[in-house]
Amino acid sequence: MFYSMVQRVPEADAIIHGESRVTYEKLWNLSCSVAQYLNQQGMQKDERVSILLENSAEYVAIYYGAQAAGGVAVGLNTAAKARDLENWIRHCGATWLFANESHPELLKLLQRLDNNVKIIILGKNNNIETGNDWNSIVNIDASNFSLSKLDNPNTAATIIYTSGTTGSPKGVTLSHKNLVSNIQSILAYLKLSKNDRILNVLPFYYTYGNSVLHTHLSVGGSIILENSMMYPNRILEKIVNEKVTGFSGVPSTFALLLGRTNLRDYDLSSVRYMTQAGGPMPPAKIRQLMDNIPHIKFFVMYGQTEASARLTYLPPEQLFNKIGSIGKPIPGVEIEIRDEYDNIVCGREIGEICARGNNIMLGYWEDMDATNKVIKNGWLHTGDLAHQDADGYIYIDGRSSEMIKTGANRISPKEIEEIITEIPQVQEAVVVGVPDEILGQIIKAVIVIRQNNVLKKLDVQSYCKNNLADYKVPKIIEFTNEIPKTSSGKIQRFKLQ
Amino acid sequence: MVIEQKIRDYILENYLFTDDQSVLNNNDSFLDKGIIDSTGILEVIYFIEEEFAIRVNDEDMIPENLDSINNIVTFIEQKQRVA
Repeated sequence: MFYSMVQRVPEADAIIHGESRVTYEKLWNLSCSVAQYLNQQGMQKDERVSILLENSAEYVAIYYGAQAAGGVAVGLNTAAKARDLENWIRHCGATWLFANESHPELLKLLQRLDNNVKIIILGKNNNIETGNDWNSIVNIDASNFSLSKLDNPNTAATIIYTSGTTGSPKGVTLSHKNLVSNIQSILAYLKLSKNDRILNVLPFYYTYGNSVLHTHLSVGGSIILENSMMYPNRILEKIVNEKVTGFSGVPSTFALLLGRTNLRDYDLSSVRYMTQAGGPMPPAKIRQLMDNIPHIKFFVMYGQTEASARLTYLPPEQLFNKIGSIGKPIPGVEIEIRDEYDNIVCGREIGEICARGNNIMLGYWEDMDATNKVIKNGWLHTGDLAHQDADGYIYIDGRSSEMIKTGANRISPKEIEEIITEIPQVQEAVVVGVPDEILGQIIKAVIVIRQNNVLKKLDVQSYCKNNLADYKVPKIIEFTNEIPKTSSGKIQRFKLQ
Repeated sequence: MVIEQKIRDYILENYLFTDDQSVLNNNDSFLDKGIIDSTGILEVIYFIEEEFAIRVNDEDMIPENLDSINNIVTFIEQKQRVA
């Protein structure tokens, strides 16, 4: 789909990042150079190519180049620490790593990896000698390159790690068919065109950002990159200056825009659409946003990485009639609300959202047990509880699991508990999510210290920071004598929230 | 120096979880170094407002005012002069 746009709009801007503007033709050539390089180095079909880069034209070129060479692209969370990164690379058996020299964990990671992982470092300083030179790769002549290795849409195209690095990480494995199916469904309702220019703040290594990337490059649109929401006024300035037509965010993105800017001070007339996914956005915030920019089409969306991103959307014309709803299934997807016995529930009864379609993942990488727990008879069991109204619009009622959703991140409490429990002074630790106005939830750790030991909050947070991505460091830490449990020993997490 | 040390101690304690002064330079960009994220900066703003009795308006929320210890110190001093 990207290649067809290269032929139609070769001179159009594909990726804009700061002062850099990379056209479709240039991006294609760079992708082909990467693919040609991988082929020349003897890469075999389905080898996993891991990428440790912030959003950039280079990230996209390596991602598409890896796939064009018949490989599987694995975008790694750039906020993760070396321990996590090593675990993911080993778990998927990646034999390639493209990384930015300035990544703060790179040197530690390289010390942990085996020699079978070929390393390519991107950067200006060339301080790390790996024998593989990015500057040579970009100059490889790939004018005769063909896409012949992309001959089976049902093979793995990408692996996205969603959580859990200790023990068993979950690598959502998506095929080319999964991605194309979801792209086509999304294009059908967003009605994107080559005239669309999206300002993207979402990381490409997560499914939402990954979806924004593919959908916009599939129609010849432009993607303007901003890799942080830290200064929301600068985001709005860029929207104005670049005449942006679209913007996508999670609830915390919009909370920041609404809380720390005055949208009416900016001429946002170029903006045609905004999309929101990654958790429920309070109706009051939706109303506040639409009061400020009433001319836009606002799409509330819902999905999961396991569904290649998107499962449902709420048509903008229904936004206020059905406020609080996640809408109806996107084209090509079936949804059923089922009870614990896998029967379809009646009326407004609450049950689990189950989905079927060509966008449902192949499975978790090399983990049939975990896959079989969520995909049963072709239906993805999302773990989200919901009900439908009389018109078939779906409303989320909660999650059936303990996962913490903070900002755009989905976090397993277990992985943080395991890290904290490594601290010698800790006897027991339980981690829960507690409500937060901006992030949805923030992380709280409740800790029992071993008898006759001393432990400070800073010690716990410091240890977590050294071993986990920063956004997984608990913001609240409480010390207690005893964790509340049932008579059978099951932790009562709700009492700690 | 007092303003600088208070800001420095706050950042070290709440984002780097250390009291080792050498890990943070006064001109280190919080954004470029990944020290503070988009919600962390809101906490920094709250701290500045409470500690130094100034108001950080929405339009003040730009890197030139907030993206390093040096920038924050200059910003606070300007605000205090105007007040």
